[in-house]
Amino acid sequence: MNGNGSIELNASIEHVWKKLMDPEVLAECIMGCKQLVLIEEGKYRAELAVGIAAVKGKYDATIELVDVQAPKGYKLVVHGEGAPGFVDAEGVIHLTPVAEGKTNLTYSYTAEVGGKVAAIGQRMLGGVAKLLISDFFKKVKKEIENEQKTA
Amino acid sequence: MKQNRIGQPMSRVEDARLTSGQGTYIDDLNPLPNIHHAAILRSPYPHARIKSIRTEKAQQMPGVKGVVTGQDIVEMTKPFPVGVTAPVKYYSLAVDKVRFVGEPVAVVVAKNRYLAEDALDAIEVEYEPLPAVVDIEKAMEPEAPILHEEVESNIANHRTFHYGDVNKAFMEADFVIKHKFFFPKYSATPVETYGVIAHYEACGNNLTIWSNFHGPFTLQSVMAAALQIPSNHLRIIIPKDVGGSYGIKSGVFPYMVLMGVVSKKIGLPVKWIEDRQEHLMASSSGTDRVTWIEAAVQKDGTVTGLKMKMVDNVGAYIRAPEPACLYRTHSNTTGPYRIQNLAMETVAVMTNKSPTGLIRGYGGPQLYFPLERIMHMIADKLDMDPAEVIRRNLIRAEEFPYKTASGGIYDSGDYLTAFEKALEMVDYQGFRERQEKAHQEGKYLGIGLACIVEPSGSNMGYITVALTPEERAKSLPKSGCAEGATVSIDPMGGISVRISTVPTGQGHETVAAQIVGEVLGVDPRSVKVIAEMDTLTSPWSVASGSYSSRFAPIGSSAVYHAALKVRQKLLEIAADQLKESIDNLDIESGKVFVRNNPEKQVSLKRLIGSAHWNPQGLPDGMEPGIHETAFYTIPTALPPDENDLVNGSATYGFVADAVTVEVDPDTGEVKILDYITVHDAGKLLNPLIVDGQIMGGLVHGLGGALYEELAYDSNGQFLTGSFMDYLCPTATEIPPVTIKHFSTPSPLTPLGAKGLGEGNTMSAPVVIANAVADALSPLGITIDSLPLSPNRIWSLIQEAHNQKQLKEELV
Repeated sequence: MNGNGSIELNASIEHVWKKLMDPEVLAECIMGCKQLVLIEEGKYRAELAVGIAAVKGKYDATIELVDVQAPKGYKLVVHGEGAPGFVDAEGVIHLTPVAEGKTNLTYSYTAEVGGKVAAIGQRMLGGVAKLLISDFFKKVKKEIENEQKTA
Repeated sequence: MKQNRIGQPMSRVEDARLTSGQGTYIDDLNPLPNIHHAAILRSPYPHARIKSIRTEKAQQMPGVKGVVTGQDIVEMTKPFPVGVTAPVKYYSLAVDKVRFVGEPVAVVVAKNRYLAEDALDAIEVEYEPLPAVVDIEKAMEPEAPILHEEVESNIANHRTFHYGDVNKAFMEADFVIKHKFFFPKYSATPVETYGVIAHYEACGNNLTIWSNFHGPFTLQSVMAAALQIPSNHLRIIIPKDVGGSYGIKSGVFPYMVLMGVVSKKIGLPVKWIEDRQEHLMASSSGTDRVTWIEAAVQKDGTVTGLKMKMVDNVGAYIRAPEPACLYRTHSNTTGPYRIQNLAMETVAVMTNKSPTGLIRGYGGPQLYFPLERIMHMIADKLDMDPAEVIRRNLIRAEEFPYKTASGGIYDSGDYLTAFEKALEMVDYQGFRERQEKAHQEGKYLGIGLACIVEPSGSNMGYITVALTPEERAKSLPKSGCAEGATVSIDPMGGISVRISTVPTGQGHETVAAQIVGEVLGVDPRSVKVIAEMDTLTSPWSVASGSYSSRFAPIGSSAVYHAALKVRQKLLEIAADQLKESIDNLDIESGKVFVRNNPEKQVSLKRLIGSAHWNPQGLPDGMEPGIHETAFYTIPTALPPDENDLVNGSATYGFVADAVTVEVDPDTGEVKILDYITVHDAGKLLNPLIVDGQIMGGLVHGLGGALYEELAYDSNGQFLTGSFMDYLCPTATEIPPVTIKHFSTPSPLTPLGAKGLGEGNTMSAPVVIANAVADALSPLGITIDSLPLSPNRIWSLIQEAHNQKQLKEELV
């Protein structure tokens, strides 16, 4: 399963980059993320609670930032395991400045699931993935632009 | 007036309790105090090495009594024995590696199921994923991932057979018609899932297991061997009510062993009830199969020879009774046709799918799909009517008993008459005219035919065809289909019957009562039948169980013989008391009387009373009491011979199906207009139950034809884990069905009966495929895989349109 998209953010590339590298922001914006703990440089342990179709459950996940090219982009590698099965996902985020105080963010992702979540949730998976991703960027946008206003 | 006797439509004695909520199923049982509950952790990976399992956190959770892992299983059990030489180690929990999604990895026992399930989340398993393979042909390639390193390939069993002069038949043929067919993996989805209660008593080394297993047959020995326990210390009790099996419940045996070990290790009685997701993912199913078939055909449509290579996918572990799916129909490989030249290659491969086992029709749907499709393809190729091709090749009535190329002995039949009956009922010629007209209006109507031989009462010897004659010679020959039954009468005259056929919905209690009622001249409703199975107290043998439709030919015969023994004893007592020759006596309406002088009589109650209350009054040398057991097998169920000839079943019935369909070219949907099925199952013991069994078997076959598939993606992930994705036919999907009986009684069974519950499970997938292929023939579409879901049909139609367009553009 895969997908891609883009959004425009009303902030400078440097500001967007800073936010996207901030584990607190990431934890805030990932739906169902209970905790994000740095375990080594660029690698976090997270606890994710996600419901896909009838399969709700917790995943112990590692989230790794690789190919970090400040401030242009990075790749996010997620591996989660839990009672509902496992999730392997990769997302590539790419930033380009479009105008003064405006940044274009493009993303693409691939995801694979296994175990119960694949057996029961497969039909819903595309939709759920889209929901999770769009929710993430919606929150990121809000996080970035809200702060812009208050700043 | 004799009521409810053999052959009459007596309503089922089981139904009163089942329809009033008084059935007793495994989950209703609470045979011991202090039962604890188990939950199973399963692999999310199709193929992975287990690097570590950490259970400490789970062990410390409140209410948790213990955790069992593969390490315990290796220490406490041996791998399950299986009838092939490939050294496959199958245990009840994964050891070192997991090989399919859903494979059990650990068991938690807790005070209740909730706590046990919660504790599963706290077990940490570290996996190292390995490449997986699920495709049959890919699994046989040299570079395929290997599931069992010690086997050195994924092939678990491989044999070749040659009967008659196949080369000559193919050399002399006017045409050779060949095709490759794919049959999908599907299940039977009984309403009740698996359930096990296990209780190990260290004192005495006794293990008692309650389960909705439909054995015990050969699997009691397999379990005892795995558990390393004397077989009389492994007591298996099967409740009288089992919520459907259709073969699938034989696959509960690994869980019976698993819970036995869990009870032993934890020191508590343990109960485990499977949930539906577990059932779809990891219980059991039929095999998926690839068949390469070639037919040697003469100009007039006569088939003179067949070559078949069939490769079964037995899933991640070959387990008993596999690879029997490849061999169950070995004796009837040529179906209802007079084809004496036959070459076969049989292969069982292991892939990262769930393991397989018994299922209604076992091997039949996989066999008849290519065989009956190729008969229609021969008709196409020769521009003949398929009915004519079938007619030309059917075994003639005067040829019975008919010996098949591979050693089957078809006991009775008149295939041609039954087939003509089906054609007449479907108005074959009339439909052809309707079809032509409909086609002019842009509608796609089709008619399919299928003639199949339905084997029943498996000869235990057929399974050993998996071994070469040399390998077989090393051990005790296997043969027969033994079944036992006990008929006893208590001091007050109450008649009870103990059967070991483990009914799972087939109404054995009713039919056993009908048989005993008839033999002893009493109302069948007064006869009490005990269907509960207990391996320590029931009269059973290695073939006992509910599979291969064996009650009608075998189980009923054991009941009949036990009743005859009781009748003989009663007549002997009566002859003594009435001072008459036994030959002059008859038994009816609770009395024994002199045939020519009915006034001279004695009541059964008095005769029974003599046996219990006054043994001194019995004829000289007669034992007191009335308690008779009989065992029955059929003399033609011999071991395979040195040329691999084997008669795999006791009796062989016949089914002729004719089905008409309409295919919607816009949606790909198949609508069945009419389903005609003509059955010859010998003498019918209870026509009411017969029609119920036929409908059930037909609907299962309908599922295979149109809806059901346990689907996996190419990485080995299982995709159909709920009834949202695994589609079963429900009441609204059932087409109009007309059942017609045509009887040639079996000369082999004492009651003339044959099995019949599986015929349409075997015929429905192919007859519907033939009808759909016929409907779509104007588009040049070939049907060689199932299920015929709308998306598959629609894609075939689109492909055909695109090719047509391409051709037109090129012109």
